[in-house]
Amino acid sequence: MFKLPRYIRNSLSRKLSLLIAVFAAIIFSASLGFMFTQSLKTVRNEAISRATQVLDNTVLRVNTILQRVEIAADNTDWLVMRHLDTPDSLFVYSRQALQHNPGLSGCSISFEPYYFRERGLYFSAFAMNDNGVIRTTQKGNSLYEYFYMDWYLLPKMLDRAVWTEPYFDYNPRNIYSKEMIASYCKPLKDEFGMFMGTLSVDISLSWLSETISSVKPYPNSYSIMIGEGGTFFVHPDQSKLLYQTIFTETLEHPDPDLTELGHAMLRGEEGMRKIVFEGTNDYVFFKPLGNTGWSVAIVCPESDIFSGYTRLRRIVVTIVILGLILMLFIFIRIVGRELEPLKKLASQTGTIAEGHFDQTLPDDGRTDEIGQLTKSFGNMQQSLINYIEELKETTALTASFENELKVASDIQMSMLPRVFPDYKGLDLYASMTPAKEVGGDLYSYVMNDDKLYFCVGDVSGKGVPASLFMAQSAQLFRVLAAEGMSPARIATYMNNELSDNNDTSMFVTMFIGLLYTTTGELEFCNCGHNSPVLDGQFVEMQHTNLPLGLVNDYSFESETIADIHGKTMLVYTDGLNEAESPAKELFGDEHILQQMASMKDMSSRQVIDKISAAVEKHRAGTDPNDDMTLMCIILHP
Amino acid sequence: MFTPQWTAQAQFAGYYVAQEKGFYDEVGLEVEIVHPTSTLTAMTRIRNNESHATTLQLSQAMEIIDRGIPLVNILQTSMNNSMVLVSRRGKSPLSQRRERVGIWSAGFGQIARCMSIKEGLDYDWVPFASNVDLYVKGALDAMLAMSYNEYYQILQAGFELTEKEIYRFCDYGYNVQEDGVYMTRSYYRNHKAAADKFAAASRKGWQWAAENPEETLDIVMKVVEENHIATNRIMQKLMLEEVLRMQEDKSSGQREFRLNPDMVKLASDLMLECGMLRREVTYEQLTTE
Repeated sequence: MFKLPRYIRNSLSRKLSLLIAVFAAIIFSASLGFMFTQSLKTVRNEAISRATQVLDNTVLRVNTILQRVEIAADNTDWLVMRHLDTPDSLFVYSRQALQHNPGLSGCSISFEPYYFRERGLYFSAFAMNDNGVIRTTQKGNSLYEYFYMDWYLLPKMLDRAVWTEPYFDYNPRNIYSKEMIASYCKPLKDEFGMFMGTLSVDISLSWLSETISSVKPYPNSYSIMIGEGGTFFVHPDQSKLLYQTIFTETLEHPDPDLTELGHAMLRGEEGMRKIVFEGTNDYVFFKPLGNTGWSVAIVCPESDIFSGYTRLRRIVVTIVILGLILMLFIFIRIVGRELEPLKKLASQTGTIAEGHFDQTLPDDGRTDEIGQLTKSFGNMQQSLINYIEELKETTALTASFENELKVASDIQMSMLPRVFPDYKGLDLYASMTPAKEVGGDLYSYVMNDDKLYFCVGDVSGKGVPASLFMAQSAQLFRVLAAEGMSPARIATYMNNELSDNNDTSMFVTMFIGLLYTTTGELEFCNCGHNSPVLDGQFVEMQHTNLPLGLVNDYSFESETIADIHGKTMLVYTDGLNEAESPAKELFGDEHILQQMASMKDMSSRQVIDKISAAVEKHRAGTDPNDDMTLMCIILHP
Repeated sequence: MFTPQWTAQAQFAGYYVAQEKGFYDEVGLEVEIVHPTSTLTAMTRIRNNESHATTLQLSQAMEIIDRGIPLVNILQTSMNNSMVLVSRRGKSPLSQRRERVGIWSAGFGQIARCMSIKEGLDYDWVPFASNVDLYVKGALDAMLAMSYNEYYQILQAGFELTEKEIYRFCDYGYNVQEDGVYMTRSYYRNHKAAADKFAAASRKGWQWAAENPEETLDIVMKVVEENHIATNRIMQKLMLEEVLRMQEDKSSGQREFRLNPDMVKLASDLMLECGMLRREVTYEQLTTE
């Protein structure tokens, strides 16, 4: 595909200007083309009408004179017929013809050989105008046998009046003069219709040449006249005059157009042809000359006819081309100047993009699209600066918050006991894996003499609020357990404490247990918590109770299991049974029981580690969806 | 004085060349070429003893000899008959019985008259002085033409002829030689050496013309212009080519420059038969031997 040069491609002003210039050129070309075509037609039509008119006038003038000749012949004709008995009188009539018609150069009344026996072979009464003096003479003699001449033979053979082709005049002194004449010849016939001779009236054609040659509708146009044999009888080129016909050149170099023109002229047609005539493109207008069989043509060079038009066209085209070039340059300048702020904007936004936000955008007070764009960029720049500032602050804030959260998490973890009681026969181990930085799960234990108080809880919600609630719960448990209360009373106290001013409606599910290490009896209060697993089975409960912190003054019930000696007990939060695999499958109660079944005779720590490992495996790399707390208690007998 | 039988044109190129190139001077001859006018014929000049030598067609020469003026052929240039009959009305000339056919008033065309009689065409002969205007204006049904001259004039007048409209005498058993240089036998007897020199120099002129057609044309045009002949270079070029072509013998293809006894016999027989000769004119009567 066509690709603009880089010089143009990389500049909007050049591209835009070029586009406008191209479109302007197309529109100009189309409209100028139309205008030129129309003008050409008009000029051509005007030329045709002008040349035709000139030709018509010329032919009319010539015809008028030729007709006078014909009338002169007609006027002499009947006189001859009436005086055939006195041949000598015929000299008088031929002289009279010239006297009455000063334009004529000669008149002959010629007869067939021996027509007048007493006059011998030749009889031709000839009168000629010799520079204004009319002389008469007997034209025929052995040197000039007139009855072989065209002017004599034509009316005889054609049996009608006829114009000869132009020819050189007969002059008794030098036989042939150099003056071209043409004769209008009428056959003379007796009462039986037999041919007797020819009446010939001659006219010098110098005036005709002058009349026709002077026709010049255009500076370089010229006129020609051809005879019935195509011979040039009027032609500006003297070497062609009489010596060539319109067809001569075609004998050597065939030219169908010229031949056709010649034939049309010889057929006596009137018309116009556009041809290459004698080396130039010409319009040739032609018209026949009366009854002569001759044809007159005006040859108008195309360059002459269209010279004004061509000059105008050249000027207009030059102006348009220069105008377009000028327009292109001016447009490039103007558009370039108009787009200058855009260029600056582009470079400055580039600088801004590199992080130099203090860059000042151009402000030349424009209100157009570029002004608006600059303003928008300015706003954007300001917003960006503000945003970046905010971002900096937020980032700093987030960093400090994260730091604090880490501290909170450490504090929370430190609230959960890491050291477990070393008491005869008691094997206790617990762990809490938070889902976020700070979690809502808790576990705790207190040894009160031989009694082990322990709890595992799960605060509703997550994050900092949950952890604070958890801290409070853990603290409460430790204080109350130290008082030696039953699990139900601990629950009741804790519930009342937590539900007071609990605007956030947070709560905690909790399993509170009291293990008499000596008897192995387990007293517990389950506050809405998951059932622990004891000896491979979920502990069956009579009272599930409500979670702590929900309803003030709620009455919690305890339950008792007689002896758990030698039994493994697992207390946990829902982070275990609801641990999700990547396919969102829950770890599930069945899975817990299976795991526990395989852990007979293991220490509490081993149990916790193994279950943790099983959960890790189940999660298969996904982040924990909830805190998970596990506590395992084994009371050895 | 030497008189060709027609106005100045390429038909006589060889003589102009001999004059212009000094071939006559070389052999010590002082030659003046004087053309006849279309009514003052070469035949008249010879009769009046105005010219010492003239070109004549063979049949013309025979006619003159028959009228009692012994002539001798000192150089024969034409080896073929160039006469054609050109019909005016799109017909074959052979179908134009009793129609009006133009013939030169100057006296050529004996062979055509014979043909008219022999073929039973009985043409109505219309003698004319010169040019082709009668034909052009439709005053004739057909006209005799020389294939090198009037035939081209007709073409130059814009006529487009078909072969059907053209009758070439040479193709129909009338191939009689035409132009040759003649002088009266008495003049020849008294000026034999000069006549032979003139013939040799003229022959040399023709040879040169055949070898240098363009330069020859220049010489012809010079003569033509001096004589104010209404013609042009193209016509003269065509004429020169045709005249030179007619000088080549059909069987040998050579420019033989000799009378052909068979053709003399043919011409004599034809003219005798048609009443143009009173008695036979023999080859011997024409030649220098």
